Amino acid sequence: MLKIENLSVRVDSKDILRGINIGIKKAEVHALLGPNASGKSTLAQAIMGFPDYKITAGGISFKRKDITNVSIEERAKLGMALVFQHPPTIKGIKLSKLLEKISKQTVDIKEFSVNPDILEREINVGFSGGERKLSEIIQIISLNPSFVIFDELDAGLDIENLEELTSIIRNKLLSNGVSILLITHRGDILRFLKPAIAYVMLDGKIVCSSGNWKEVWRTITRYGYEKCKECKERKLFSD
Amino acid sequence: MKNVRSAKSVNYSQIDNRVEKISESREAMVLPSLEAYKELKWTRDYFEQKPEEGYFIWVKKQINNPLATCIAISLPKVSQDIRNLVVIEESIEAEIYSICSAIKKNLCGVHIGRSRIVVKENSTLKMRHFHNWGRGDRVESSLKFFLEKEAKLSYTFKCLAVPETLKTESDTFLDSRSSADFGIAVLAEGSKVNMHDSIFLNGEKSSGMMKLRMIADKNSKISAHSKIIANSAGKGHLDCTGLLLDENSSISAVPELLNKDKNATLTHEASIGKISEEELNYLRSRGLTEDEAINLIVTGFLGEEAPFTYKGRILSKAYM
Repeated sequence: MLKIENLSVRVDSKDILRGINIGIKKAEVHALLGPNASGKSTLAQAIMGFPDYKITAGGISFKRKDITNVSIEERAKLGMALVFQHPPTIKGIKLSKLLEKISKQTVDIKEFSVNPDILEREINVGFSGGERKLSEIIQIISLNPSFVIFDELDAGLDIENLEELTSIIRNKLLSNGVSILLITHRGDILRFLKPAIAYVMLDGKIVCSSGNWKEVWRTITRYGYEKCKECKERKLFSD
Repeated sequence: MKNVRSAKSVNYSQIDNRVEKISESREAMVLPSLEAYKELKWTRDYFEQKPEEGYFIWVKKQINNPLATCIAISLPKVSQDIRNLVVIEESIEAEIYSICSAIKKNLCGVHIGRSRIVVKENSTLKMRHFHNWGRGDRVESSLKFFLEKEAKLSYTFKCLAVPETLKTESDTFLDSRSSADFGIAVLAEGSKVNMHDSIFLNGEKSSGMMKLRMIADKNSKISAHSKIIANSAGKGHLDCTGLLLDENSSISAVPELLNKDKNATLTHEASIGKISEEELNYLRSRGLTEDEAINLIVTGFLGEEAPFTYKGRILSKAYM
């Protein structure tokens, strides 16, 4: 589905990511862990093709197509989607209007535990943290994607809300064969979505890649991220 | 269509220099301004001179349907000198849709409109004013609002097809406990726009709010001077925001506050910039092209109005 090979990314003349390798197959969940400012969101935005994120080496292919130089909207049309950690407010545009413009499939708002009035509110204007996340997920489901990046979906959510959102992700996305890259630094979401591979990113590099997310998370909680540099379970990505 | 507002009739319709239709009711008298000037002597206090064109609307009783006026230019080189007077009697809630437009883009007409609007004690007027013009037209609009005690005005002016030159000015006079809420939206493409709007807080606890939204594209120049003058203990706020869509356009926003009463509170905010990259990227990540994303942001910025229709035709959109 998604293959990132030896990817290096520069933002504002500063090299942020170096030599990133990730491969995600259909219906797989992968998790990217790392401390603040390690480069996780940079990777999310580079995968999505944001113009300020310059690829200086390596490349990205999606559905066997090289998309390294493809525009954001083309990537979206190919089936790639990003759930933003901090989605911007779009004043004057109701969520229903945006859905009308972007939807590839109908989403029944009643299936989500949110006041349906959210559709008639301006996008993210005065939304609570939970409403923002639900608005993001409703939009993403309407796009009928094949690969979704969740950038810190769990940030600011209590455990009940997180459980509900992950249940939606399982039922509406994973069960339809959608692949997922979870960016997080909390363990709960891993427990709910059980990633096949967990990566640890430090200073713009993936320092650990393991099929045992429980062990990775145990190490992080016990010793902190620095320990990942020397972890014996470390397995570098190969495909 | 959601939230559609419909007119039962167009109450005043003028094409070029001739009156096409007048429709009045028991609640609202509608006359050509010249007739009102001749027959109702008191109207002369408001018409600064004898009017040749335009409408007089006198809402005397509560009216449940919106009133509508349409003034259009249909032939080349037509010159209109419109003088309107609207009077809303006491304790009435009224809604007026007022549409001024050119039927084609290449008529090079002149539309000069001067309107006086009187909202009497304890009345509410919701007025929606739409302008749509061709490139070569010249348009000047001057409005004066007189709000008596506890009167409320909600006024929207929207011009999304701006002529080569557009000049607008408004003066609003508020008596005690009255309020005026202005929403002005202009999308200039290859145009010169000059706007002067003043709100005079003359009565205690009066309040005035002006929200100005301007977009300049394709070598446009917009100059907007907005002013609130507190002669009494009222509240006023100016909110001016401009978006520049190209390198060769400019917007000058001058918010001015003049406070002559220590118990009055006047505030303002102003910003002019480009469309946020963050918003653009967000919408593009949802599959919209850059142009589609810009259009959506522009639509939201200028504010969407519920369509206003007559016999199934949307009157509040451009005819062109």
